[in-house]
Amino acid sequence: MDRLIVPVLSLVVAIAFYAYKAHRSRGAAPARTPRPAGRGKQSAGSVRLGFVPPERLDADRDQPADPRDGAVRAAVRAGDWQAAATYLAEAGGDWQERYHRAGQLAAEAAKDDAWLLAWRQAHPHDPGAALVNADALIDLAWAIRGNGLGSTVGEESARRFHEVLHRARQACAEAQALGGGDPSPYIVEMALAMGLGYPHERMRELWAETEKRDPYHLGAYTRALQYWCAKWRGSHEESFAFAATAASRAYPGSLLTLLPLYAHFEYETSQDDLDPDEYYKRPEIVAAVDACLADVAAAPPHNRRVPQVRHFLAWCLYWQDRYPEAVEQFRLIDGYAGATPWDYASDPVKRYTEIRDYCADRVVEAGV
Amino acid sequence: MPAVRAFLLLAGFYLLGVVVLGVLVGADVAIFAADVPGSAAVKLYVVSVLLAIPLVQGMLALRTPKDEGGDGLVLTEERQPELWHTVRTLAEQAGTPAPDELVLTGDVNASVTENARLLGLLPGPRRMRIGAPLLVGLNEPQLHAVLGHELGHFSNADTRLSQLTLRGRYTVSRTIQAFHDRADKAAGRELAKQEKRNTKLTAKGKKAKAVDAGIAGFSYRLMAKPFIGYAHFYLRVTLKDGRAQELAADRIAAKIAGRDVTASALRQIPVLDAAYGFYMESYATLGTGAGLLPPPGEVFGGLRHLLAARGEELARLRAGAPREELSPYDSHPPIADRVALLGQLPDDGRGLPPARPAIAVLRDPARVLAELEDAVLTAEARGLERVDWGQLVHRSLRTYVDRGAEPLRTATAEVTGGPGTLDALLWAVDNGQQWAVVDKLPKSAEAASATGRAAREFARPRLRSGLKSLTVLALVDAQQAWWELAWHTEAVLRLPQGYEQRLDKALDAAVSDTPNTGPLRTMLPQSAPAL
Repeated sequence: MDRLIVPVLSLVVAIAFYAYKAHRSRGAAPARTPRPAGRGKQSAGSVRLGFVPPERLDADRDQPADPRDGAVRAAVRAGDWQAAATYLAEAGGDWQERYHRAGQLAAEAAKDDAWLLAWRQAHPHDPGAALVNADALIDLAWAIRGNGLGSTVGEESARRFHEVLHRARQACAEAQALGGGDPSPYIVEMALAMGLGYPHERMRELWAETEKRDPYHLGAYTRALQYWCAKWRGSHEESFAFAATAASRAYPGSLLTLLPLYAHFEYETSQDDLDPDEYYKRPEIVAAVDACLADVAAAPPHNRRVPQVRHFLAWCLYWQDRYPEAVEQFRLIDGYAGATPWDYASDPVKRYTEIRDYCADRVVEAGV
Repeated sequence: MPAVRAFLLLAGFYLLGVVVLGVLVGADVAIFAADVPGSAAVKLYVVSVLLAIPLVQGMLALRTPKDEGGDGLVLTEERQPELWHTVRTLAEQAGTPAPDELVLTGDVNASVTENARLLGLLPGPRRMRIGAPLLVGLNEPQLHAVLGHELGHFSNADTRLSQLTLRGRYTVSRTIQAFHDRADKAAGRELAKQEKRNTKLTAKGKKAKAVDAGIAGFSYRLMAKPFIGYAHFYLRVTLKDGRAQELAADRIAAKIAGRDVTASALRQIPVLDAAYGFYMESYATLGTGAGLLPPPGEVFGGLRHLLAARGEELARLRAGAPREELSPYDSHPPIADRVALLGQLPDDGRGLPPARPAIAVLRDPARVLAELEDAVLTAEARGLERVDWGQLVHRSLRTYVDRGAEPLRTATAEVTGGPGTLDALLWAVDNGQQWAVVDKLPKSAEAASATGRAAREFARPRLRSGLKSLTVLALVDAQQAWWELAWHTEAVLRLPQGYEQRLDKALDAAVSDTPNTGPLRTMLPQSAPAL
């Protein structure tokens, strides 16, 4: 009889634990998550406020496409590399803009690089072409690998992925040597720091070179934060510390107050037993959201980096039960769901719609 | 007590067969009694008879399948008096009758089998098998230890009570094997039958059915299940006795050959097993795809070259604790345990004396090893051309590289509309057609799903290795390069002075996105320095 005690007891504990988990997952967080309207269905409140129906939401971008991006991509597809050179040159010393434009060209070059080869043949030492080349190789590597978990990547694909990443590393070095005051080649290399697992020392060197060239580059901060996250090469402590440094440097309109929100979001999604409904209401996160709201308000209206911040604010305001303020953000970003935090869900459009519509319904109810 | 248990367990095994058969008969009686309508009853009878057939066959299989020999070369006393003398002496020391037949095999194993009589209860004629790799890889005292161990299993010195268990284990294992063999054979017959029918159907323009081994093998496997279940039970229950038996046999070996020699033999065997597997794969059968075998006697005898050249590597393997997956039914305790237990025996002061290789016990070993090949190789293998080791390596690798390059030649010819030569391929590279050529080669699923620039990254290494093969072949055929046999490492491709680095760079240049075939062209035979 004695022998039975241990197995029976462990069975009881296992059942109790399972029941507890089931209760929690049914009771706590999802009770907050609005009743899913089902894909393609929109809540009454959301319709009333004039939000875009889910089937018309753009899942690929966080804001309307810039027609200039589309034009230059069409031009290079037709082989006109001069258009690319001009487009990059026009960004001048606005490094954040140059980084964005290089990214657009790289996405095109990762698919077909005939124009880039021609450009580099004509101007072997062009810093812009070198930058696009480095960035495109990283895109290419990920296109070969696919976005699945490591275990889903085939052996041959994994080999090609690493080969291309190593070529990208050489390409980054080349672009950095030619780049002068442009931080972009260093920021591009941060993707390698994540993928190839650079030691912290090397990452700090990259960061020092970046910061020296542009201390307020939002894209640099968000990418470096990814490196310092526990899921990549850092820890929760390191990511919070990095985000705090960024926030301490922020001036109104710099948008660097986004970083603490990002770090909290990464932490919350990495913790299974954290209740977001409680977590985001902590005073320091409420204060961080307030700071970020002020920061965004001070940014120039056509700054293309503002929407990504608003997507984040909408998410945080929702969990903080600040529905009117959340709806205000949704009004300014609606139509586009291709942004973090939505893209951490398996169906970003669904996640976006659920939360937007929940907020809209509360606002409409309160107004009645 | 163990003897009674062993007897009951073995009897239970036979009883199980009778019971299962009885159930089938009982079912038929019940059907008859229940007055099932005619046609249905007939069907049920047929089913029960079909099920009973493999069972009855299985009961017959319970008579231990006879060891027919025939898997090696019989060594007669007349031709191998010294070996026979050795074995007789060992058997005497082990306290058991000498075997009636000695067989040389190609396995890293020695064994003594017995065609026991009366359901495995009485001893019968014995056959001792000795693996040629043991003769090549052990020294003489180590061989004595190994053979002493095998004979020790039949010794009546201190294991009298376990005799029945041992024989029972043996019978049960053989029976399960026989069941599986029957199932496989039945499934094989069924497959052949279906394929034949499908060929006919296809010939008449009808759609062929998927070939399926189906019910034939299945009914055997189903019937085998209770027996296998019982056998596992049996083996588990008698495991302790089985392991004790192994350890007892080790002690007998130690008494005969010395404690330290026995331990060294135990440590050597797994190493020898690994080395032999590697040798067979990478040396002895390297040339079979090219129609080549090493000279007579070397297929098994060549192992000695490898053992001599890789002494250090093997010593490292021996020193490391042998890691083995141990089956819960394996009667052999882990080698590490066996060596440790031997170490607990009192020192017999015999140590590890200098000794000649075990093969010295054979008279005219080269001829014996050649005759072993005739005895164990298939007719097909015996028909292969025999060449010396150096030729074997060079000619096989040339054949394989040449064969591997064939699809690329074909693709080149198709795309360029000319001959599929290296020259034509280089010309295609210069004209930007290289990716079209590689695209025609068979692809992995991963490579096939890539598009655009990603597809080129999958193609690049294939183009590179194809260009390398064709370049190497050109150099080989101009007698500027060759493959060299090495026993301590894999075969080495010998290239002209300084070519190794140059070739890497030249290939990189040729497969880059802005290709340059110039460096590779300068390395081709007409311009290469004569050796």
